[in-house]
Amino acid sequence: MDVTVGTVVSSGGRARAARRRATTFGLALVAPAFCLMVLLVLLPMLRSLLGTIFPEGSAGPTTSGYSKFFADPRSVQNLVYTIEVTGTTLAILLGIGLVLSLYLRFSQSRFTGAIQIIALFPLFVPGIIISFALIRFIGPTGNVATFLRLIGITQYQTPYLHPSGAMLGLIWENIPLTVMLLSAGLAQVSNSSIEAARDVGSGWARILVRIILPQLTRSIIVVVGLNFLGVFGSFTVPYILGPAAPQMMSIFMQNTFSELQEAGTSEVQAAVTFFVCLIAGLIYTIAVFRDAAGSGTAR
Amino acid sequence: MTRRRSRFSDDLAGLVLLAALVVFVLGPLLGVLIWAFAEVWRPPAVLPTSWGFKYWGMLLSRADIQKALPVSLSISSIVTLLSAIICWPAAYAFARIEFPGRRWLLLSFIAVNAFPRFPLYVSIAVVFLSLGLIGTYTAVVLVQLVFTLLFMIWIPSAAFRGIDPRMEEAARDVGASHLTVLLRITLPQAAPALGAALLLTFVNTFYDVDGALLVGIPDIQTLPIIMLSLITGQVIVQYGAVLSVLLWVPSLVLLVFARRLFEGRAFAAGFGA
Repeated sequence: MDVTVGTVVSSGGRARAARRRATTFGLALVAPAFCLMVLLVLLPMLRSLLGTIFPEGSAGPTTSGYSKFFADPRSVQNLVYTIEVTGTTLAILLGIGLVLSLYLRFSQSRFTGAIQIIALFPLFVPGIIISFALIRFIGPTGNVATFLRLIGITQYQTPYLHPSGAMLGLIWENIPLTVMLLSAGLAQVSNSSIEAARDVGSGWARILVRIILPQLTRSIIVVVGLNFLGVFGSFTVPYILGPAAPQMMSIFMQNTFSELQEAGTSEVQAAVTFFVCLIAGLIYTIAVFRDAAGSGTAR
Repeated sequence: MTRRRSRFSDDLAGLVLLAALVVFVLGPLLGVLIWAFAEVWRPPAVLPTSWGFKYWGMLLSRADIQKALPVSLSISSIVTLLSAIICWPAAYAFARIEFPGRRWLLLSFIAVNAFPRFPLYVSIAVVFLSLGLIGTYTAVVLVQLVFTLLFMIWIPSAAFRGIDPRMEEAARDVGASHLTVLLRITLPQAAPALGAALLLTFVNTFYDVDGALLVGIPDIQTLPIIMLSLITGQVIVQYGAVLSVLLWVPSLVLLVFARRLFEGRAFAAGFGA
């Protein structure tokens, strides 16, 4: 093999050409999906945000759409109600999720397999079916009422068409994701660190607060962020199980858009929702991005 | 002695958790299953007084159901197919090709998770309204495509990455073309994951209510939309129950064929866990 300056240069050139080809090829393969995302996610959202500030026919920027929203007691009530439902649901979900995932991680009992299967089962039941099922279950003449009557309790207050009905449905739907994400986080907590703490005499509560929860922070942030977005933007479950008024923002928007046919107003409602969710979205994205940059999990 | 006692409390706690889950998660579903086969069930009674398939025949002969089934199946199929055509090349590129901006592009797809669903649908619907697309097939297909992007890129990409590149190199060394390698080595190896992604996308799309309701009505009525009107109309309980059981079939298929997908870490990783 005779190595001359000429071949070295040309092989370097070839490598560069190959790299350029890979770049073009890679970008070309990604382009359709990326364009679709820009067209269906980014542009409509930006258009909504700008369109509510620069409505058609107005000379300059105006916040009149937003001041109308916040001057209308019904709109504000719906927004507050949505935040309340989301907050309460999140707190309960996190509690249930932590209990289940901690048990699944540390228990040696023979029930863990069954618990895991049933906890993930709601993944395989669409919202529309569980909403209907919960009407029959918790409704005024449902199975729970029948059972309570059997044991002599007749004063049953149904949560159906009350905020608690919507929350029950939302909790039901989101248990699997919560348990999955928390379990994934708990899997990374090492047994040795816990055993070391136990060897020096730490009790369970201390181990939980001092060793497990600090390592679980990122999972909890992801869970809270995703569930916040999921619950805040939910439609079917609260539409069927919740009260007619106040309404979750999604139902409010659907009403405004489809029934009242006020596209502009519904867009302001959507924009307000975007802004509230922006915080949760940012926290979630930063949690994911930072980790991806650090350890490369989200490759 | 203490070991045996802690073993006992471990089992006891498990039993309590399991019982609570069974009642809360499975209880409502069991009720629906019973309703679907009940001909007469007046509330205070613990069980139906008469059983049968009467309402199955009545529901299946309804014109709106007969019309909605092909609509639902065709829309879900088109969305799934389009999603695969658009997303799989991207999934392959993310897994196999080094190009500048690769990480940021991939993370931009994950960031779609960071948008609340329904308000995004409203934004899209307002655009569609100005384009005159409301109430058309196209509108429903496009809206439903949005949230298929992530999984159709994520799951196949993980599968492509899982294939040993040396196998592809070996095939290329003995003279196979890129296309042959793709068709004979890469795709067959990734097939189970690709199948799971297809199934997951189809099922998720099939059950979509939010998008179809916002941009599809009044002209496009999918099965879940009919179900919604049956529920809010409160006509006959059994209609909703029978339709629930029928509607659940795609999920059952997913449960049987793709359950492993959810048990591994890959699915949770798609959300950044």
